[in-house]
Amino acid sequence: MYRYDEFDAAFVRERTQQFSDQVRRRLSGDMSEDQFRPLRLMNGLYLQLHAYMLRIAVPYGTVSSRQMRMLAHIARSYDRGYGHFTTRQNIQFNWPKLRDIPQILADLASVEMHAIQTSGNCIRNITTDQFAGAAADEIIDPRPVAEILRQWSSLHPEFSFLPRKFKIAMTGATTDRAAIRFHDIGLQATTNDLGEIGWQVWVGGGLGRTPMIGKLLSGYVAHEHLLAYLESTLRVYNRYGRRDNKYKARIKILVHEEGIESIREQVEAEFAEVKGGVLTLPQAELDRISAYFAAPQYELVNARSVDVAREKILNPFYGRWLERNLNAHRQPGYVSVTISLKPVGGAPGDATDTQMEVVADLAQRYSFDELRVTHEQNLVLPHVKVTDLPAIYEVLVKNGLADGNAGQITDIICCPGLDFCALANARSIPIAQELTRKFESPERQAEIGDLKIKISGCINACGHHHVGHIGILGVEKKGTELYQITVGGDATEKAAIGDILGHGFVAEEVPNAIERLVNTYIARRESPAEPFIAAYRRLGKEPFKEALYGAN
Amino acid sequence: MAQTSPLKFAQSQPDHARAGAIMALNGMFDDMDALGVLRHAVTELLPADLAIVSSFGADSVVLLHIVAQVDRALPVYFLETGKHFVETLAYVETLKETLGLSNVVALRPDPRDIARFDPDGTLWETDPDSCCHIRKTEPLDATVSGFGGWVTGRKRFQTTERGVLPHFELTSDDRIKVNPLAYFSDADITTYKLKYGLPEHPLYNMGYKSIGCAPCTSVVAEGEDPRAGRWRGLNKKECGIHFDFNGAIAKPMAAQELNLYKDGKFIADPFRAWAEGDDPGSVRYTHIPLPVFLANREAVLANPHPVGLLVSPGDNVELVRDDLGRFASVAINFPGFTDGRGYSSARLIAERYGYQGELRAVGDVLADQVPLMARCGITTFLVRHEPTKKALADGKLATVDLFYQPVGKTEVPVGTRPFLRRAVEKV
Repeated sequence: MYRYDEFDAAFVRERTQQFSDQVRRRLSGDMSEDQFRPLRLMNGLYLQLHAYMLRIAVPYGTVSSRQMRMLAHIARSYDRGYGHFTTRQNIQFNWPKLRDIPQILADLASVEMHAIQTSGNCIRNITTDQFAGAAADEIIDPRPVAEILRQWSSLHPEFSFLPRKFKIAMTGATTDRAAIRFHDIGLQATTNDLGEIGWQVWVGGGLGRTPMIGKLLSGYVAHEHLLAYLESTLRVYNRYGRRDNKYKARIKILVHEEGIESIREQVEAEFAEVKGGVLTLPQAELDRISAYFAAPQYELVNARSVDVAREKILNPFYGRWLERNLNAHRQPGYVSVTISLKPVGGAPGDATDTQMEVVADLAQRYSFDELRVTHEQNLVLPHVKVTDLPAIYEVLVKNGLADGNAGQITDIICCPGLDFCALANARSIPIAQELTRKFESPERQAEIGDLKIKISGCINACGHHHVGHIGILGVEKKGTELYQITVGGDATEKAAIGDILGHGFVAEEVPNAIERLVNTYIARRESPAEPFIAAYRRLGKEPFKEALYGAN
Repeated sequence: MAQTSPLKFAQSQPDHARAGAIMALNGMFDDMDALGVLRHAVTELLPADLAIVSSFGADSVVLLHIVAQVDRALPVYFLETGKHFVETLAYVETLKETLGLSNVVALRPDPRDIARFDPDGTLWETDPDSCCHIRKTEPLDATVSGFGGWVTGRKRFQTTERGVLPHFELTSDDRIKVNPLAYFSDADITTYKLKYGLPEHPLYNMGYKSIGCAPCTSVVAEGEDPRAGRWRGLNKKECGIHFDFNGAIAKPMAAQELNLYKDGKFIADPFRAWAEGDDPGSVRYTHIPLPVFLANREAVLANPHPVGLLVSPGDNVELVRDDLGRFASVAINFPGFTDGRGYSSARLIAERYGYQGELRAVGDVLADQVPLMARCGITTFLVRHEPTKKALADGKLATVDLFYQPVGKTEVPVGTRPFLRRAVEKV
C-alpha cells in the first residue's frame, strides 16, 4: 500500500487546518452558506435532508486495517454507529455535526486519510478494480498510476472549479470490474505494437439523466505522457464544457455535442503543446511509487484450491459462500475474498463500527493488512491463503458478514435515496430490502445465477441503475413514488445501457415485477450456464416486456 | 407569500441561499438542545415573527416550558375547536398560570363555516375530515399565514418515515417550521416532565395517551403530507445556482478606494473598467474586453495610452496571443467564483504565452480562491469582498502551501522533492 511520506502528511495537515478555519468562519457567520458551499463540498461535506454528510476518500478503494479501525472509531464517536460504503469506493457518514468536522478530519489525517475532493466540481477519487494487484487476469497493477493521478489531481489549481464533477476510473485487467466505460475518463491498460504497456483513454461515459457509453479518445498513451494527456483533456473540458446548464455540464455532453473527432483534435492540439514538458513522468518516479505496491511476501501454500463441491455437501452455506465470494488470485494458493455488505433486509453498503473492526482484524491477520472497497458496495480481503478460508468464514458468520451472494440477485447496488438524500425523488433502500427478502432463499439465488440489480432513487443515477442487468429508477409522479424498470444494462467491457420497457410500478409491485422477469429468464434460457444478461441479449426485449406488462 | 412576509432576510437573499442557510442550521445544534433551537428561532431567525401552536395535549407542556424559558410573551395559539374536554380547557388555564404564559390565544372556527357545514354539531360523526378542516386547518392557516414561521411540538418518533424530521424546515410556501423537540423520544418527554415537575394533563393519568378531539394530537401534523416539509421544494431551487454577479467591473471605480491587492498591500487601482460608449482608440487605463479589442484591433494598437485587456470566460485567449505585449495589464474576469475558466486562461497567458505584465483577477475574488489564482500565475487581485480584503491585509489566507502539481512558473528546488511536488510561491 501507498504510505504517506512527510510531504503527504504535511499536505493533508495543512488542508485540514485550512478547512477547519473555513468551518470556524462559517460558524461565526463570516462566511455565507453560498460561499461555504463549494469549499465544504471540496472537503467532502454535503448538506443532506437532515444533517451534514461527510464523504471520506478511499483512494482507489484500498484501505489498511488501521484506517478501517479509524473509520469504525468515527462511526462510533461522531456518528450513529455505522458508515455507508459508496459506489465510488468511498465511505460516507450521515450524521456528523459541523463543529465536529475539524476533529474528524484531524483523526483521519492521523491514519493518512482525508475527505479532499470527494465532492464538488473537481476531479474526484480515482477508482479502480477491487482486485487490483491480485487478480489473475491482470495486465498491470493500476494502483501506482492511480496514486500518481491522485497526487496530480489533489487541489489542482486549474481544475478545482470545473463545469461539473469529474470522475476517473481505471483498470489493469481484461475484465472491467471498475465500469470504466461509464466514467468521465476511463483508463484501460493495453499494450502497443512493441509490447509496451500503456493506457487506452475512454472519454465521455456517464450515467445520470443522460446515460452515455464512453468513447475511445486515444488507443494508446504511454505512462510517461499520461499526465500530460489528461491535463490536456481536462483543460479542453474546463474551457469548453457547458456551464449554462448543470445537467449538460458533464464532459459526456461536450463530447456528444462536439463529436469525439473534434474533441480528439482539440485534446491532441493541447497535448502537442504540453507533451514532453514538466508533466512527463520519469520512470524513476513510477518505480518509486510502484515499490509501495510490491506484491506482499506470499507463503508457499500446499493446497492450491478449495474443493467447493465437497464443502457444499459438508456445509451448504459455507460451500455457497466459497462458490460465490472468491476471486482467482495470481498467486497459487491464494484467493481474493468478497465480504458481502448485502445481508437480507439490510441497507446495501452499510457496515457497523463493530463490523468494521472485525474486517480490520481479518485483514491484519489474513490479508497482509489490506482491504478493498468495491464499487458494488462490498469489501474485499485481497490476498487470502486458501487454508485460512474456514477461519475467516467463521468470524464472518459471527458478525453477520457471511452472505455468499456476491454477484447474485441480492447483491444490489443502491443509492441512499429519499431516506437520506436531498435530491432523491423516491426511496431506494426499502426497495432493495424488499427484493432481498423476496429472493432470500439461497437455492433460489443459485438457480438464478449472476444477476446484477442496481437501484437509484432519482435520475442522477448514483445507484447505477442504467447499467444494472435489471435497473430500478425511482421517480415521482404527482406525489407518488414510481419505479421504472430497465433491463439489459451492463457496466463491464460489454458496456450497455438498460432498456426501458414500459411504465413504472408502485413500490409494492416492484418485487413481483422483478420476479416475473426472473421467471421469464429461467423459462427461456438455453441452459443454467446462460446468465440473465446473455439471455436478454439473445432473446431481446419482447419476452421481458411481456413478463412485465402482459401480452398485447 | 414570500413577498409580503416580514422575514428578515427573505427580501435580501435569493431563495436558494435562504433555504440553504436554514438547512444549514440543522447541523448547528445538538439533537437534544431544544432550548437552543427555539432561542435561535426567536432571537435570530424570526424575531417577532414566530408563532407557537399548541394542542395543550398530553405532551404539550414540554414545549411550552421551553417557550416560557425563552419568552413568556410569545404568542401561543390554541385551537379552540369547541369540541375539547373540559379538562383540556382547565389545563390551558393551569399551564398559563404555572408557566406564566401571558399571550395564549384561542383560535376559533369561523362561525359561518360552522353554520354552513356543521349546524347541528355532528359533522365529526359523518365526515371527520371536514370537521377537522373547518375547526383546525382553516383557523390555523389563517393565523400562521401572518407569520414567517411557527413552532411545532412534533417529534421524530411520531413519524412513520425514518428520521425525517429536522429542527428547521422550510415549507413550500416559504415559511420556516421549527421543531425543537424533533429528536425527543417518548422517554425523553416523560423524563423532562419529571425533571421539571411539570403538571400533567388531567386526563393523562386516566389512561388517555392522545388527547384532543381527533385521533391525531398534533395539529400541525393534521392533514399534512409527511414529506411536505422535507425540503422537497428545494431541489429545483438548488439546481442551477447561478451567482448573480453583474459586473462590479462595469462601474467606474472610485479612485480613492484601495481595492487592488498588489505586491503585498492594497493600493488604489489606476485602471477603470470598460464602459458603454468608450472609444477603444483613445481610452486610457481601461481594461478593454477581448471581443471589443478584436473588433477594433488596429485602433487599440494605435492608441497611445496605457490600456489593459479584459478576458472573460468563453474568450479565446489564443486569438490575442501575439498582441498581449501591447497591454499594461490583463484582467481575468471571474464573474462567479464557481466559474473556473479563468484559471485556464491565466495559465495560458502566463505560462504558454509568457506574458510579462500585470495579470490580475477581477470579479468575484474571494479569499479561498486567491491561492489557486496565484498558482495559475495571477499576481494582482481586485477585491471587493470585505472579509477577503481583511484576510489579505492581515496576511491570514487559509492556504495549503504544499502542492503536488507542477503549475505556473514556480522554481523546483532540485533534488528536494519527488517528481510532482512543488513548494508554494507566496502571493
